[in-house]
Amino acid sequence: MNYEWDFSGVWAHRDMLLAGFVGTMKIAAVAIALGVVFGVVLAALRLSGRAWLARPALWIIEFYRNTPPLVHFFWAFYALPVLIGVSLDPYAAAVIALSTQSGAFFAEVFRGGLVSIERGQWEAARAVGMRSHQALRRVVLPQALARMLPPFIERSFELIKTTALASTLAYSDLLYQAMQLNSITFRPLEVYTVVAAIFFLALFSLSLVARVAEHRLAISTRAAGH
Amino acid sequence: MDFTWDFSAVLQHWPVLLKGVGVTAGLWAVAFPSAMAIGLLIALGARSKSRLVGAATRGYMELFRNIPILIQLVWFFYAFPILTGWQLTPYVAALLALSLNASAYCSEIFRGGIASLPAGQWEGARALGMRRVQVLRRVVLPQVLKRMLPAFTNRGIELAKNTSIASVIAVHELMYQGRALSAAYYRPLEILTAVAVVYFVLIYPGAYAASRLEKRLALRSH
Repeated sequence: MNYEWDFSGVWAHRDMLLAGFVGTMKIAAVAIALGVVFGVVLAALRLSGRAWLARPALWIIEFYRNTPPLVHFFWAFYALPVLIGVSLDPYAAAVIALSTQSGAFFAEVFRGGLVSIERGQWEAARAVGMRSHQALRRVVLPQALARMLPPFIERSFELIKTTALASTLAYSDLLYQAMQLNSITFRPLEVYTVVAAIFFLALFSLSLVARVAEHRLAISTRAAGH
Repeated sequence: MDFTWDFSAVLQHWPVLLKGVGVTAGLWAVAFPSAMAIGLLIALGARSKSRLVGAATRGYMELFRNIPILIQLVWFFYAFPILTGWQLTPYVAALLALSLNASAYCSEIFRGGIASLPAGQWEGARALGMRRVQVLRRVVLPQVLKRMLPAFTNRGIELAKNTSIASVIAVHELMYQGRALSAAYYRPLEILTAVAVVYFVLIYPGAYAASRLEKRLALRSH
């Protein structure tokens, strides 16, 4: 192999990649926050005990979980504006696509966590005189949240990786900025290797932090008498 | 809402979408078995006594799982040819990215499945005079494959969804055909909705089967 690597072009335009990194982080943070809201609503509908609320929520969840994320992006950008009569910029469309699809996954994480707490916990809390919202807040939720955390973190990682699809709508995320940089420097090998490395370092170090946090949590819940 | 739905473009040009479904299915049918085969090799590598092989396989798994698959695809299509001198066609680049990406997840499933079997099974089979490959094929895999089935089904679903990103490098699969149609007939709402429904019809049966399987296995283990 006598290819000579040359990172000078990438280094000279590092501000472009930095802007892309900020764009990726921004869209990921907003989509996680909105996805949690959407997920809580869907999970509440699923657990409402009323079929006319639970059924549609289930179908929304199943639809998002069983269609490709890229379809959601194109649908939000090209199709949704036709339906609502308002044109969306790439940022808004990408946030809608990301937060709705991750909301569908979060909903199942939240529902699964709540359902996994044994009935006896509810009954015992009621027996000592708590109202059901008190039982939920003081007894069930603290335990359920601990169980929800690992799958929640896993879905959030998936979401961060999925943000790269926003580049197909010309939103200035890290990948889109890399494509721009490539058209200036004509150095695809260096540009895309650097972008892959940035993603790897960011996600890998985040996953190490998450692993430590989960480990700590597992110890503290065990210490609390489980 | 004064928008009137008009599915005539979809109804007239459904063979175009059908062709896309064929390419999507082809990508999946090649990438999934390849991913399982590579995944098994990587999982065996991770069990190796050699620290170098162990570290390399773990690096492989972390690398492919911590980089967005779209970036892997773009890398194989635009960067890999410069490094190696082999210009890949979009279809081959897509197959490569999809297979390698899924193989990292498959290797994790194999690794967990194999580790779930007590070491006594290995020792017993070895004591009968079997080679390691024989132990794996005749004793270990038959017992753990069933346990790994739900996880592999879920991986197959993820892979089916991931095939859509091949449209970004102009592989003429379902997503690409859908976008081409919607650009040609200015009916994005109807056409992209139809594409989403087609994907759902293709993928949902797999998800349904996986959840049934999981419940059955959970019942049996009680």
